[in-house]
Amino acid sequence: MSLTRTNLAKTIKKQYFFKLKANITSFTLLIGVQLLALLFSLGGVASSSFGSSSIRLNTQYYTADIVIIFTLIWAFVMAITITTKPHRDLDFTFVTNRLSSSFANILYLLTVSIVGSMMAILSDNLLRVIIYTFLDKQFYSSTMGLQEFIMGISITSFYVLMVCSIGYFVGTLVQISSLFTILLPALFFGSLFLRPSMDEKPIITNAFEYYLLESSLTLFIVKIVITTALFFTISTSILNRMEVRQ
Amino acid sequence: MRVIECSNLTKTFFTKKALNKLSFSIEENKITGLIGRNGAGKTTLLKIIAGFIKETSGEIKVFSEKPFNNLNNSAHVIYVDDHMSFPSTIPLLELLKVAESFYPNWNRDLAMRLFEYFSFDPKTYHHRLSKGKTSTFNMIIGLASRCSLTIFDEPTTGMDESVRKDFYKALLKDYIAYPRSIILSSHHLSEIEDLLEDVLLIKDGKTYLQMPISELKEYAFALQGNNGEVFKLTSDKEVIFKNHIASNVTYVIVKNDGSKNLLQQARHAGVEISPVPLSDLCVYLTNETNGGIEDVFNEN
Repeated sequence: MSLTRTNLAKTIKKQYFFKLKANITSFTLLIGVQLLALLFSLGGVASSSFGSSSIRLNTQYYTADIVIIFTLIWAFVMAITITTKPHRDLDFTFVTNRLSSSFANILYLLTVSIVGSMMAILSDNLLRVIIYTFLDKQFYSSTMGLQEFIMGISITSFYVLMVCSIGYFVGTLVQISSLFTILLPALFFGSLFLRPSMDEKPIITNAFEYYLLESSLTLFIVKIVITTALFFTISTSILNRMEVRQ
Repeated sequence: MRVIECSNLTKTFFTKKALNKLSFSIEENKITGLIGRNGAGKTTLLKIIAGFIKETSGEIKVFSEKPFNNLNNSAHVIYVDDHMSFPSTIPLLELLKVAESFYPNWNRDLAMRLFEYFSFDPKTYHHRLSKGKTSTFNMIIGLASRCSLTIFDEPTTGMDESVRKDFYKALLKDYIAYPRSIILSSHHLSEIEDLLEDVLLIKDGKTYLQMPISELKEYAFALQGNNGEVFKLTSDKEVIFKNHIASNVTYVIVKNDGSKNLLQQARHAGVEISPVPLSDLCVYLTNETNGGIEDVFNEN
Protein backbone atom coordinates (compact mmCIF):
# COMPACT_ATOMS: atom_id res chain seq x y z
CA MET A 1 0.00 0.00 0.00
CA SER A 2 1.46 3.33 -0.96
CA LEU A 3 0.52 6.19 1.24
CA THR A 4 0.72 9.75 0.02
CA ARG A 5 2.88 12.15 1.97
CA THR A 6 1.10 15.11 3.40
CA ASN A 7 2.33 18.57 2.58
CA LEU A 8 2.83 20.83 5.60
CA ALA A 9 2.33 24.13 3.80
CA LYS A 10 -0.90 23.00 2.16
CA THR A 11 -2.22 21.71 5.46
CA ILE A 12 -1.46 25.02 7.14
CA LYS A 13 -3.31 26.85 4.38
CA LYS A 14 -6.39 24.65 4.75
CA GLN A 15 -6.29 24.99 8.51
CA TYR A 16 -5.96 28.75 8.28
CA PHE A 17 -9.12 29.10 6.19
CA PHE A 18 -10.90 26.62 8.46
CA LYS A 19 -9.88 28.74 11.45
CA LEU A 20 -11.13 31.94 9.86
CA LYS A 21 -14.51 30.34 9.24
CA ALA A 22 -14.66 28.76 12.66
CA ASN A 23 -13.76 32.01 14.46
CA ILE A 24 -15.83 34.36 12.38
CA THR A 25 -17.71 35.48 15.49
CA SER A 26 -14.52 37.04 16.87
CA PHE A 27 -14.81 39.72 14.18
CA THR A 28 -18.40 40.40 15.15
CA LEU A 29 -17.13 40.83 18.68
CA LEU A 30 -14.48 43.24 17.38
CA ILE A 31 -17.18 45.48 15.91
CA GLY A 32 -19.02 45.48 19.22
CA VAL A 33 -15.88 46.29 21.19
CA GLN A 34 -14.90 49.11 18.85
CA LEU A 35 -18.37 50.64 18.88
CA LEU A 36 -18.24 50.61 22.67
CA ALA A 37 -14.85 52.30 22.52
CA LEU A 38 -16.27 54.92 20.15
CA LEU A 39 -19.03 55.59 22.63
CA PHE A 40 -16.40 56.27 25.28
CA SER A 41 -14.52 58.50 22.86
CA LEU A 42 -17.56 60.77 22.44
CA GLY A 43 -16.80 62.28 25.84
CA GLY A 44 -13.55 63.67 24.49
CA VAL A 45 -10.13 63.13 25.98
CA ALA A 46 -9.25 66.60 27.12
CA SER A 47 -10.73 70.07 27.22
CA SER A 48 -9.42 73.53 27.79
CA SER A 49 -11.19 76.73 28.58
CA PHE A 50 -10.17 80.29 27.96
CA GLY A 51 -12.15 83.30 28.89
CA SER A 52 -12.08 87.04 29.39
CA SER A 53 -14.79 89.56 30.23
CA SER A 54 -16.19 89.58 26.69
CA ILE A 55 -15.25 86.20 25.23
CA ARG A 56 -15.26 82.63 26.44
CA LEU A 57 -13.60 79.83 24.49
CA ASN A 58 -14.11 76.20 25.32
CA THR A 59 -12.09 73.56 23.43
CA GLN A 60 -12.84 69.90 23.55
CA TYR A 61 -10.37 67.36 22.12
CA TYR A 62 -11.55 64.11 20.57
CA THR A 63 -9.54 61.11 19.53
CA ALA A 64 -10.28 57.50 18.67
CA ASP A 65 -7.15 56.29 20.45
CA ILE A 66 -9.26 54.45 22.95
CA VAL A 67 -10.49 52.26 20.08
CA ILE A 68 -6.91 51.09 19.63
CA ILE A 69 -6.62 50.26 23.34
CA PHE A 70 -9.84 48.26 23.16
CA THR A 71 -8.62 46.51 20.02
CA LEU A 72 -5.45 45.52 21.85
CA ILE A 73 -7.48 44.03 24.70
CA TRP A 74 -9.71 42.22 22.21
CA ALA A 75 -6.68 40.78 20.40
CA PHE A 76 -5.13 39.68 23.69
CA VAL A 77 -8.31 37.80 24.60
CA MET A 78 -8.59 36.25 21.10
CA ALA A 79 -5.01 35.00 21.33
CA ILE A 80 -5.66 33.38 24.71
CA THR A 81 -8.91 31.87 23.44
CA ILE A 82 -7.33 29.96 20.56
CA THR A 83 -4.92 28.22 22.90
CA THR A 84 -7.76 26.75 24.96
CA LYS A 85 -8.66 23.09 24.79
CA PRO A 86 -11.83 23.35 22.66
CA HIS A 87 -9.93 25.30 20.03
CA ARG A 88 -7.00 22.90 19.98
CA ASP A 89 -9.35 19.91 19.80
CA LEU A 90 -11.04 21.52 16.81
CA ASP A 91 -7.85 21.22 14.75
CA PHE A 92 -7.50 17.58 15.65
CA THR A 93 -10.84 16.65 14.13
CA PHE A 94 -9.16 16.97 10.75
CA VAL A 95 -5.66 16.51 9.39
CA THR A 96 -3.09 18.30 11.51
CA ASN A 97 -0.05 18.11 13.64
CA ARG A 98 0.91 20.48 16.39
CA LEU A 99 3.27 22.48 14.19
CA SER A 100 0.73 23.08 11.43
CA SER A 101 -1.84 23.97 14.06
CA SER A 102 0.48 26.57 15.60
CA PHE A 103 1.40 28.08 12.24
CA ALA A 104 -2.25 28.34 11.30
CA ASN A 105 -2.90 30.00 14.66
CA ILE A 106 -0.14 32.54 14.06
CA LEU A 107 -1.47 33.31 10.57
CA TYR A 108 -4.92 33.72 12.05
CA LEU A 109 -3.59 36.11 14.71
CA LEU A 110 -1.77 38.06 12.00
CA THR A 111 -5.10 38.45 10.21
CA VAL A 112 -6.73 39.46 13.46
CA SER A 113 -4.06 42.14 13.96
CA ILE A 114 -4.37 43.60 10.49
CA VAL A 115 -8.17 43.60 10.39
CA GLY A 116 -8.38 44.95 13.94
CA SER A 117 -5.93 47.75 13.25
CA MET A 118 -7.52 48.71 9.98
CA MET A 119 -10.89 49.02 11.61
CA ALA A 120 -9.45 50.90 14.58
CA ILE A 121 -7.78 53.48 12.35
CA LEU A 122 -10.86 53.79 10.15
CA SER A 123 -13.07 54.26 13.21
CA ASP A 124 -11.34 57.61 13.61
CA ASN A 125 -13.29 58.79 10.57
CA LEU A 126 -16.51 57.47 12.01
CA LEU A 127 -15.86 59.47 15.17
CA ARG A 128 -15.41 62.65 13.09
CA VAL A 129 -18.66 62.02 11.27
CA ILE A 130 -20.56 61.39 14.51
CA ILE A 131 -19.20 64.50 16.17
CA TYR A 132 -19.79 66.61 13.08
CA THR A 133 -23.34 65.34 12.70
CA PHE A 134 -24.61 65.13 16.24
CA LEU A 135 -22.66 67.61 18.38
CA ASP A 136 -23.66 71.18 17.87
CA LYS A 137 -20.18 72.68 18.05
CA GLN A 138 -17.68 74.34 15.77
CA PHE A 139 -15.61 71.49 14.39
CA TYR A 140 -11.96 71.50 13.39
CA SER A 141 -10.05 68.42 12.42
CA SER A 142 -6.62 67.45 11.21
CA THR A 143 -6.68 65.62 7.93
CA MET A 144 -5.13 62.23 7.44
CA GLY A 145 -3.17 61.60 4.25
CA LEU A 146 -2.86 58.23 2.56
CA GLN A 147 0.69 57.82 3.82
CA GLU A 148 -0.30 58.56 7.40
CA PHE A 149 -3.24 56.24 7.03
CA ILE A 150 -1.13 53.29 5.86
CA MET A 151 1.53 54.09 8.43
CA GLY A 152 -1.11 54.18 11.16
CA ILE A 153 -2.48 50.81 10.18
CA SER A 154 0.95 49.17 9.95
CA ILE A 155 2.24 50.50 13.27
CA THR A 156 -0.99 49.56 15.02
CA SER A 157 -0.83 46.10 13.43
CA PHE A 158 2.65 45.61 14.86
CA TYR A 159 1.44 46.53 18.33
CA VAL A 160 -1.63 44.31 18.07
CA LEU A 161 0.44 41.39 16.79
CA MET A 162 2.85 41.75 19.69
CA VAL A 163 -0.03 41.76 22.14
CA CYS A 164 -1.38 38.67 20.36
CA SER A 165 1.94 36.89 20.79
CA ILE A 166 1.93 37.74 24.50
CA GLY A 167 -1.66 36.51 24.78
CA TYR A 168 -0.76 33.34 22.94
CA PHE A 169 2.15 32.78 25.30
CA VAL A 170 -0.01 33.44 28.37
CA GLY A 171 -2.67 31.06 27.02
CA THR A 172 -0.05 28.40 26.43
CA LEU A 173 1.31 28.69 29.96
CA VAL A 174 -2.21 28.33 31.34
CA GLN A 175 -2.58 25.15 29.28
CA ILE A 176 0.46 23.70 31.03
CA SER A 177 -0.91 24.42 34.48
CA SER A 178 -3.93 26.34 35.67
CA LEU A 179 -1.69 27.69 38.45
CA PHE A 180 -0.59 30.31 35.93
CA THR A 181 -4.07 31.86 36.00
CA ILE A 182 -3.18 33.09 39.48
CA LEU A 183 0.55 33.44 39.04
CA LEU A 184 0.56 35.58 35.88
CA PRO A 185 -1.84 38.31 37.10
CA ALA A 186 0.05 38.35 40.41
CA LEU A 187 3.32 38.81 38.54
CA PHE A 188 1.84 41.54 36.37
CA PHE A 189 0.33 43.56 39.18
CA GLY A 190 3.33 42.89 41.36
CA SER A 191 5.65 44.29 38.72
CA LEU A 192 3.68 47.55 38.72
CA PHE A 193 5.22 48.20 42.12
CA LEU A 194 8.53 46.52 41.52
CA ARG A 195 11.25 49.09 41.06
CA PRO A 196 15.03 48.84 41.27
CA SER A 197 15.20 51.60 43.90
CA MET A 198 12.75 54.00 45.49
CA ASP A 199 13.43 56.96 43.20
CA GLU A 200 13.34 54.99 39.97
CA LYS A 201 10.43 54.07 37.76
CA PRO A 202 8.85 50.60 38.05
CA ILE A 203 10.42 48.01 35.76
CA ILE A 204 7.20 47.55 33.82
CA THR A 205 7.13 51.25 32.94
CA ASN A 206 10.59 50.88 31.47
CA ALA A 207 9.36 47.93 29.46
CA PHE A 208 6.44 49.96 28.09
CA GLU A 209 8.67 52.88 27.28
CA TYR A 210 11.10 50.56 25.50
CA TYR A 211 8.42 49.76 22.95
CA LEU A 212 6.22 52.87 22.99
CA LEU A 213 8.79 55.65 22.93
CA GLU A 214 10.96 54.32 20.12
CA SER A 215 11.43 57.13 17.62
CA SER A 216 13.24 55.24 14.89
CA LEU A 217 10.85 53.29 12.71
CA THR A 218 13.38 50.61 11.77
CA LEU A 219 14.40 50.02 15.38
CA PHE A 220 10.76 49.91 16.40
CA ILE A 221 9.98 47.23 13.81
CA VAL A 222 13.06 45.22 14.78
CA LYS A 223 12.14 45.34 18.46
CA ILE A 224 8.54 44.31 17.85
CA VAL A 225 9.35 41.56 15.37
CA ILE A 226 11.99 40.01 17.63
CA THR A 227 9.72 40.10 20.69
CA THR A 228 6.78 38.67 18.77
CA ALA A 229 8.86 35.93 17.18
CA LEU A 230 10.30 35.02 20.57
CA PHE A 231 6.90 34.61 22.22
CA PHE A 232 5.48 32.64 19.29
CA THR A 233 8.52 30.36 19.13
CA ILE A 234 8.40 29.54 22.84
CA SER A 235 4.64 28.93 22.71
CA THR A 236 4.92 26.74 19.62
CA SER A 237 7.64 24.60 21.13
CA ILE A 238 5.59 24.17 24.32
CA LEU A 239 2.40 23.30 22.41
CA ASN A 240 4.36 20.89 20.23
CA ARG A 241 4.62 18.48 23.15
CA MET A 242 1.07 18.86 24.38
CA GLU A 243 -1.38 15.97 24.28
CA VAL A 244 -4.87 16.64 22.97
CA ARG A 245 -8.38 15.31 23.48
CA GLN A 246 -7.60 13.68 26.77
CA MET B 1 1.86 -5.23 5.56
CA ARG B 2 1.24 -4.45 9.16
CA VAL B 3 -0.84 -1.39 9.85
CA ILE B 4 -0.15 -1.21 13.55
CA GLU B 5 2.76 -2.72 15.39
CA CYS B 6 3.16 -2.12 19.04
CA SER B 7 5.30 -3.68 21.70
CA ASN B 8 5.39 -3.11 25.45
CA LEU B 9 3.22 -0.04 25.06
CA THR B 10 2.68 1.64 28.41
CA LYS B 11 0.72 4.76 29.19
CA THR B 12 0.60 6.21 32.67
CA PHE B 13 -1.77 8.92 33.83
CA PHE B 14 -0.22 10.23 37.03
CA THR B 15 0.09 6.99 38.97
CA LYS B 16 -2.51 4.94 37.16
CA LYS B 17 -1.37 2.66 34.38
CA ALA B 18 -3.94 2.85 31.60
CA LEU B 19 -1.89 0.61 29.34
CA ASN B 20 0.55 -1.87 30.76
CA LYS B 21 3.10 -3.40 28.39
CA LEU B 22 0.59 -3.93 25.63
CA SER B 23 1.85 -5.74 22.55
CA PHE B 24 -0.04 -6.64 19.41
CA SER B 25 -0.12 -6.01 15.69
CA ILE B 26 -2.89 -5.52 13.17
CA GLU B 27 -2.74 -6.61 9.57
CA GLU B 28 -3.80 -4.50 6.62
CA ASN B 29 -7.41 -4.27 5.42
CA LYS B 30 -9.11 -6.06 8.27
CA ILE B 31 -11.98 -5.10 10.49
CA THR B 32 -10.75 -5.58 14.02
CA GLY B 33 -12.97 -5.40 17.05
CA LEU B 34 -11.40 -3.90 20.15
CA ILE B 35 -13.16 -5.38 23.11
CA GLY B 36 -12.67 -4.68 26.77
CA ARG B 37 -14.48 -3.58 29.87
CA ASN B 38 -14.90 0.01 30.97
CA GLY B 39 -11.51 1.40 31.90
CA ALA B 40 -9.57 -1.41 30.25
CA GLY B 41 -7.61 1.12 28.20
CA LYS B 42 -9.43 0.93 24.86
CA THR B 43 -9.80 4.65 24.31
CA THR B 44 -6.28 5.36 25.55
CA LEU B 45 -4.89 2.86 23.05
CA LEU B 46 -6.96 4.29 20.19
CA LYS B 47 -5.92 7.85 21.02
CA ILE B 48 -2.28 6.84 20.98
CA ILE B 49 -2.82 5.23 17.56
CA ALA B 50 -4.49 8.42 16.36
CA GLY B 51 -1.51 10.46 17.60
CA PHE B 52 -3.48 12.51 20.11
CA ILE B 53 -1.55 11.36 23.14
CA LYS B 54 1.98 10.10 23.57
CA GLU B 55 2.99 6.75 24.98
CA THR B 56 4.91 6.76 28.27
CA SER B 57 7.16 3.91 27.20
CA GLY B 58 7.27 1.11 24.69
CA GLU B 59 7.06 1.40 20.96
CA ILE B 60 4.20 1.94 18.55
CA LYS B 61 4.30 2.23 14.78
CA VAL B 62 1.33 3.03 12.60
CA PHE B 63 2.10 2.57 8.90
CA SER B 64 5.74 2.19 10.00
CA GLU B 65 5.82 5.64 11.56
CA LYS B 66 5.45 6.91 15.08
CA PRO B 67 1.94 8.32 15.33
CA PHE B 68 2.38 11.13 17.88
CA ASN B 69 2.46 14.57 16.29
CA ASN B 70 2.84 13.06 12.84
CA LEU B 71 1.18 14.87 9.96
CA ASN B 72 1.13 11.80 7.69
CA ASN B 73 -0.41 9.76 10.45
CA SER B 74 -3.07 12.37 10.93
CA ALA B 75 -3.98 12.22 7.25
CA HIS B 76 -4.12 8.42 7.12
CA VAL B 77 -5.86 7.80 10.39
CA ILE B 78 -9.22 9.14 11.42
CA TYR B 79 -10.52 8.74 14.93
CA VAL B 80 -14.27 8.91 15.27
CA ASP B 81 -16.11 9.11 18.57
CA ASP B 82 -18.94 11.16 19.98
CA HIS B 83 -16.55 13.84 21.28
CA MET B 84 -15.27 15.00 17.90
CA SER B 85 -15.38 18.74 18.03
CA PHE B 86 -16.72 20.91 15.27
CA PRO B 87 -16.98 24.70 15.23
CA SER B 88 -20.35 26.11 16.21
CA THR B 89 -20.19 28.67 13.40
CA ILE B 90 -20.13 26.32 10.41
CA PRO B 91 -23.33 24.59 9.27
CA LEU B 92 -23.34 20.82 8.72
CA LEU B 93 -23.19 20.83 4.95
CA GLU B 94 -20.29 23.24 5.03
CA LEU B 95 -18.52 20.96 7.52
CA LEU B 96 -18.60 18.17 4.96
CA LYS B 97 -16.91 20.52 2.50
CA VAL B 98 -14.25 21.40 5.07
CA ALA B 99 -13.64 17.70 5.70
CA GLU B 100 -13.39 17.15 1.97
CA SER B 101 -10.66 19.75 1.70
CA PHE B 102 -8.60 17.93 4.33
CA TYR B 103 -8.95 14.27 3.38
CA PRO B 104 -7.50 13.28 -0.01
CA ASN B 105 -9.63 10.13 -0.40
CA TRP B 106 -12.87 11.83 0.58
CA ASN B 107 -15.92 10.39 -1.16
CA ARG B 108 -18.30 13.29 -1.64
CA ASP B 109 -20.98 11.18 -3.26
CA LEU B 110 -21.14 8.78 -0.33
CA ALA B 111 -21.11 11.62 2.19
CA MET B 112 -23.97 13.41 0.46
CA ARG B 113 -26.09 10.30 0.11
CA LEU B 114 -25.62 9.33 3.75
CA PHE B 115 -26.31 12.94 4.75
CA GLU B 116 -29.60 12.89 2.89
CA TYR B 117 -30.53 9.35 3.96
CA PHE B 118 -30.27 10.26 7.62
CA SER B 119 -32.18 13.46 6.81
CA PHE B 120 -29.79 16.03 8.21
CA ASP B 121 -30.72 19.66 7.84
CA PRO B 122 -27.85 21.22 5.84
CA LYS B 123 -28.26 24.55 7.62
CA THR B 124 -28.23 23.34 11.20
CA TYR B 125 -25.16 23.30 13.42
CA HIS B 126 -23.27 20.41 14.96
CA HIS B 127 -23.74 21.49 18.57
CA ARG B 128 -27.53 21.53 18.11
CA LEU B 129 -27.68 17.86 17.14
CA SER B 130 -29.03 15.25 19.51
CA LYS B 131 -26.71 12.59 20.92
CA GLY B 132 -27.66 9.98 18.34
CA LYS B 133 -27.55 12.47 15.49
CA THR B 134 -24.10 13.63 16.60
CA SER B 135 -22.83 10.06 16.43
CA THR B 136 -24.48 9.60 13.05
CA PHE B 137 -22.90 12.74 11.63
CA ASN B 138 -19.47 11.79 12.99
CA MET B 139 -19.90 8.35 11.47
CA ILE B 140 -20.54 9.96 8.06
CA ILE B 141 -17.28 11.90 8.38
CA GLY B 142 -15.50 8.69 9.39
CA LEU B 143 -16.82 6.64 6.49
CA ALA B 144 -16.55 9.25 3.77
CA SER B 145 -12.98 10.23 4.67
CA ARG B 146 -11.89 6.73 3.61
CA CYS B 147 -8.71 6.93 5.64
CA SER B 148 -6.37 3.94 5.40
CA LEU B 149 -7.00 3.34 9.08
CA THR B 150 -10.44 4.24 10.33
CA ILE B 151 -11.02 4.07 14.06
CA PHE B 152 -14.52 4.02 15.48
CA ASP B 153 -14.53 4.36 19.26
CA GLU B 154 -18.01 3.54 20.54
CA PRO B 155 -19.52 4.89 17.31
CA THR B 156 -23.11 3.97 18.12
CA THR B 157 -23.48 5.99 21.33
CA GLY B 158 -27.04 7.30 21.44
CA MET B 159 -28.06 5.85 18.08
CA ASP B 160 -31.39 4.11 17.97
CA GLU B 161 -31.77 0.48 16.93
CA SER B 162 -32.49 1.14 13.27
CA VAL B 163 -29.71 3.68 12.83
CA ARG B 164 -27.25 1.27 14.47
CA LYS B 165 -28.21 -1.45 12.02
CA ASP B 166 -27.94 0.99 9.12
CA PHE B 167 -24.53 2.05 10.34
CA TYR B 168 -23.20 -1.51 10.46
CA LYS B 169 -24.56 -2.20 6.99
CA ALA B 170 -23.07 1.02 5.64
CA LEU B 171 -19.73 0.23 7.25
CA LEU B 172 -19.63 -3.24 5.70
CA LYS B 173 -20.73 -2.09 2.27
CA ASP B 174 -18.22 0.70 2.13
CA TYR B 175 -15.50 -1.61 3.44
CA ILE B 176 -16.20 -4.03 0.59
CA ALA B 177 -16.25 -1.21 -1.94
CA TYR B 178 -13.06 0.32 -0.59
CA PRO B 179 -11.12 -2.10 1.64
CA ARG B 180 -9.17 -0.47 4.43
CA SER B 181 -8.19 -1.20 7.99
CA ILE B 182 -10.94 -0.52 10.47
CA ILE B 183 -10.85 -0.73 14.23
CA LEU B 184 -14.21 -0.86 15.92
CA SER B 185 -14.49 -0.54 19.64
CA SER B 186 -17.87 -1.35 21.04
CA HIS B 187 -19.58 -2.76 24.07
CA HIS B 188 -22.21 -4.41 21.92
CA LEU B 189 -20.21 -7.37 20.66
CA SER B 190 -23.34 -9.30 19.74
CA GLU B 191 -24.22 -6.54 17.27
CA ILE B 192 -20.87 -6.38 15.57
CA GLU B 193 -19.69 -9.99 15.65
CA ASP B 194 -20.87 -10.66 12.10
CA LEU B 195 -18.86 -7.67 10.94
CA LEU B 196 -15.54 -8.47 12.55
CA GLU B 197 -12.72 -10.56 11.22
CA ASP B 198 -10.39 -10.26 14.19
CA VAL B 199 -10.93 -9.60 17.84
CA LEU B 200 -8.48 -7.92 20.16
CA LEU B 201 -9.49 -8.35 23.74
CA ILE B 202 -7.75 -6.20 26.30
CA LYS B 203 -7.93 -6.40 30.05
CA ASP B 204 -6.20 -4.14 32.57
CA GLY B 205 -4.20 -2.45 29.82
CA LYS B 206 -2.80 -5.71 28.48
CA THR B 207 -3.60 -7.82 25.45
CA TYR B 208 -5.69 -10.66 26.80
CA LEU B 209 -6.19 -12.43 23.51
CA GLN B 210 -6.15 -11.65 19.81
CA MET B 211 -7.60 -14.08 17.31
CA PRO B 212 -9.90 -14.37 14.31
CA ILE B 213 -13.54 -14.26 15.33
CA SER B 214 -14.10 -17.78 13.96
CA GLU B 215 -11.58 -19.14 16.44
CA LEU B 216 -13.04 -17.15 19.27
CA LYS B 217 -16.42 -18.73 18.61
CA GLU B 218 -14.84 -22.12 19.37
CA TYR B 219 -12.73 -20.80 22.22
CA ALA B 220 -14.99 -22.15 24.95
CA PHE B 221 -18.20 -24.07 25.59
CA ALA B 222 -20.68 -24.31 28.39
CA LEU B 223 -21.65 -27.31 30.48
CA GLN B 224 -24.82 -27.46 32.46
CA GLY B 225 -25.98 -30.27 34.69
CA ASN B 226 -25.69 -32.03 38.01
CA ASN B 227 -23.09 -30.53 40.34
CA GLY B 228 -21.05 -33.69 40.79
CA GLU B 229 -21.07 -34.72 37.15
CA VAL B 230 -20.08 -31.25 35.97
CA PHE B 231 -17.31 -31.08 38.56
CA LYS B 232 -15.96 -34.45 37.44
CA LEU B 233 -15.95 -33.43 33.78
CA THR B 234 -14.32 -30.06 34.32
CA SER B 235 -11.78 -30.94 36.97
CA ASP B 236 -8.88 -30.97 34.49
CA LYS B 237 -10.14 -28.06 32.44
CA GLU B 238 -9.60 -24.33 32.59
CA VAL B 239 -12.78 -22.88 34.05
CA ILE B 240 -13.72 -19.45 32.79
CA PHE B 241 -17.01 -18.99 34.57
CA LYS B 242 -19.02 -20.91 37.12
CA ASN B 243 -22.53 -20.32 38.36
CA HIS B 244 -24.92 -22.30 40.50
CA ILE B 245 -28.24 -22.06 38.77
CA ALA B 246 -30.09 -24.12 41.32
CA SER B 247 -28.97 -25.99 44.42
CA ASN B 248 -27.85 -29.02 42.42
CA VAL B 249 -27.40 -27.58 38.95
CA THR B 250 -24.18 -25.90 37.89
CA TYR B 251 -23.40 -23.90 34.76
CA VAL B 252 -19.73 -23.87 33.86
CA ILE B 253 -17.87 -22.34 30.94
CA VAL B 254 -14.60 -24.06 30.18
CA LYS B 255 -11.87 -23.40 27.66
CA ASN B 256 -11.97 -25.64 24.63
CA ASP B 257 -8.80 -27.74 24.68
CA GLY B 258 -9.85 -29.82 21.68
CA SER B 259 -10.55 -33.08 23.52
CA LYS B 260 -13.14 -35.00 21.58
CA ASN B 261 -14.35 -37.59 24.04
CA LEU B 262 -15.68 -34.94 26.40
CA LEU B 263 -18.78 -34.58 24.28
CA GLN B 264 -19.54 -38.25 24.64
CA GLN B 265 -18.76 -38.35 28.35
CA ALA B 266 -21.03 -35.40 28.92
CA ARG B 267 -23.87 -36.90 26.99
CA HIS B 268 -23.39 -40.08 29.00
CA ALA B 269 -23.57 -38.22 32.30
CA GLY B 270 -26.63 -36.26 31.24
CA VAL B 271 -24.74 -32.94 31.13
CA GLU B 272 -25.85 -30.44 28.52
CA ILE B 273 -23.19 -28.91 26.29
CA SER B 274 -23.81 -25.62 24.50
CA PRO B 275 -21.85 -22.94 22.70
CA VAL B 276 -21.24 -19.66 24.53
CA PRO B 277 -22.50 -16.42 23.00
CA LEU B 278 -19.47 -14.28 22.16
CA SER B 279 -20.59 -11.28 24.11
CA ASP B 280 -21.08 -13.41 27.21
CA LEU B 281 -17.73 -15.05 26.72
CA CYS B 282 -15.95 -11.71 26.52
CA VAL B 283 -17.70 -10.49 29.63
CA TYR B 284 -16.65 -13.60 31.54
CA LEU B 285 -13.10 -13.49 30.19
CA THR B 286 -12.62 -9.93 31.29
CA ASN B 287 -14.38 -10.21 34.62
CA GLU B 288 -12.38 -9.11 37.61
CA THR B 289 -13.72 -11.88 39.83
CA ASN B 290 -15.20 -15.25 39.08
CA GLY B 291 -18.54 -14.42 40.63
CA GLY B 292 -21.26 -12.12 39.46
CA ILE B 293 -23.37 -9.23 40.62
CA GLU B 294 -25.51 -11.75 42.52
CA ASP B 295 -22.65 -12.15 44.98
CA VAL B 296 -22.99 -8.51 45.96
CA PHE B 297 -26.55 -9.10 47.07
CA ASN B 298 -25.87 -12.54 48.43
CA GLU B 299 -25.13 -11.89 52.07
CA ASN B 300 -23.97 -15.40 52.74
